[in-house]
Amino acid sequence: MQLPAYYEFCNSVKTIVGHKALEQIPQSLKAINAQRPMIITDKGVEQAGLIKIVQAAMQKSKLKAAALFDSVPADSDVKVVNEVAKIYRAKKCDSIIAVGGGSVLDTAKGANILVSENATDLMQFVGYGNVKRKLRPFVAIPTTAGTGSEVTSVAVIANHEKNIKMAFGSLFLLPDIAIIDSRMTKTLPPTITAFTGMDALTHAVEAYFCLAKNPLSDTTALAAIQLIAQNLVNVVKKPSDLDGRLALALASNLAGMAFSNSMVGLVHNIGHAIGGVCGVPHGVCMNILLPYGLEYNMHKRSQYIGELLYPLAGEEVYNKTPKKERPLKTVEYIRKLIQDLHDATDGKHPRFLKEVYDRTGKQMIPKEKLPDIARTAMSDPAQFYNPEDLDYNDYIMVLEAAWEGIPLDRKKIKKG
Amino acid sequence: MNALQYPEIKPKKKFIKRIYIAVMLWVVGRAIQAAAKVDREVKEEFAKLKDNFLLKMWIWPNGPAMYVGKTKDGKVKYLGWKDKGYKPTLTMTIKSVEAAMLLFTFQEGTAISTARNRLVVDGDLPDACALVRILNIVEVYLLPKIIAKLAVKRYPKWSQMNPLRKHFGRILIYVRAFTF
Ligand SMILES: [Fe+2]
Repeated sequence: MQLPAYYEFCNSVKTIVGHKALEQIPQSLKAINAQRPMIITDKGVEQAGLIKIVQAAMQKSKLKAAALFDSVPADSDVKVVNEVAKIYRAKKCDSIIAVGGGSVLDTAKGANILVSENATDLMQFVGYGNVKRKLRPFVAIPTTAGTGSEVTSVAVIANHEKNIKMAFGSLFLLPDIAIIDSRMTKTLPPTITAFTGMDALTHAVEAYFCLAKNPLSDTTALAAIQLIAQNLVNVVKKPSDLDGRLALALASNLAGMAFSNSMVGLVHNIGHAIGGVCGVPHGVCMNILLPYGLEYNMHKRSQYIGELLYPLAGEEVYNKTPKKERPLKTVEYIRKLIQDLHDATDGKHPRFLKEVYDRTGKQMIPKEKLPDIARTAMSDPAQFYNPEDLDYNDYIMVLEAAWEGIPLDRKKIKKG
Repeated sequence: MNALQYPEIKPKKKFIKRIYIAVMLWVVGRAIQAAAKVDREVKEEFAKLKDNFLLKMWIWPNGPAMYVGKTKDGKVKYLGWKDKGYKPTLTMTIKSVEAAMLLFTFQEGTAISTARNRLVVDGDLPDACALVRILNIVEVYLLPKIIAKLAVKRYPKWSQMNPLRKHFGRILIYVRAFTF
């Protein structure tokens, strides 16, 4: 294990994990002195009947939510945040329970800034460290096993009118409590389970080989990778496997801990750009780009990438593979995982960029868009933590390979 | 216990470090201004930045500091070390004198400093990305290869570039950075 001369790690979230973890909400809220929680969620979560499960779990201890906001849109923005804050104040709530994926959690974090700081304009808190004090009690209940938002100290909120994205970073944005309950991810369709799982895997892998790696995030990353390698394909094939569901939700949590301290690299860098330019779901991009992120950085991080073979493939394969061959074997394993997910979803899980279609069957990433994506990627800060540098032509090289679905020609990667 | 028996800690060493850092900030500031005139890539990066772009680079909590910004006619100018009521659009905060020493003795590149949370950039993130690219180019110009290689992720292959750019660019930047 590499012991850097200096590193930082923070995770102050009380995490409750179990098949019936939600039943702990009333007690946990009491412990942080909250009685009138506001539930924030989206229509999809509500229609899947998940809020009913949460409310029933609360009801057992005679706790009722003081307000329910169930219409956070997928492309949430500052208007929604303001609306949520308004209801929170009107109903005299004193805490927040956010039930959902990344968009719901970020919206709820934004609303928590407004109600705690008694403010009306989020703009004054944009940036790193501008939320300076403890916010209202916040419980996060993830309904996807991917983003890890329940343990991250950031929130990204769009302002569609001004066409900007506001990023907030502060340790006070870490939820007080995260509740991981297998019932919350049980109904997730196989395709979404597949790509959100690959997002979590990417968090762990990038945290492990990128520049801000440290022994604490390494430990959480390796555990996450092992859990995903052992459970993802099985759960996609058998969605009702509750133990598998819980394992994946925990993996997402561990991976979230890893990357919120060690950050991510090239895969997220390009993935953010594809999401921005073509509107492709985040996890889909992660899944396709992950092998390329490893190949591109291989000459600088071969040792770490080789070490990933152990949690991915298990002890036997790891021991049988000579040290020199482990890095490439790691990439091979990840490509195999992607193929397995493709097969398990009847080909709905895309392997390459050209295979990504929207609901109407339209190709989402036409080849002509690649230059646009490359230029956008150059303005995304995830590149800071990537071991190797990238210029415009490097982005194009990676994008073209990922579009066609051919491995990177590692001889063509420019080395300093 | 008699407090007097303990020798007073003299901030002498720190003072010398601060002077070194102040000089380096000045060199970097002047070099950015010079590179923006001479280097095509730096010129293009600045052209893409907003008109009121103003960079503050400083050591927390009380300096030294350095300001570089775009003037009304679009030129890039080193604005000195004094805060004349500037409104920076991008602030690069180095968290301590020690962190600044690591950075300016080139034992640690900007990427590693950021990764180790010794360097915090505040402002529009696309601008921050552009600035890191600019700083990399400036470092490659200013420093001998053996040192610059430690400071940047990937040392450019000059052979892939116009040789004129390397030598003339470098001499011009030195001249512009060190003359007034
Ligand atoms: Fe992600």
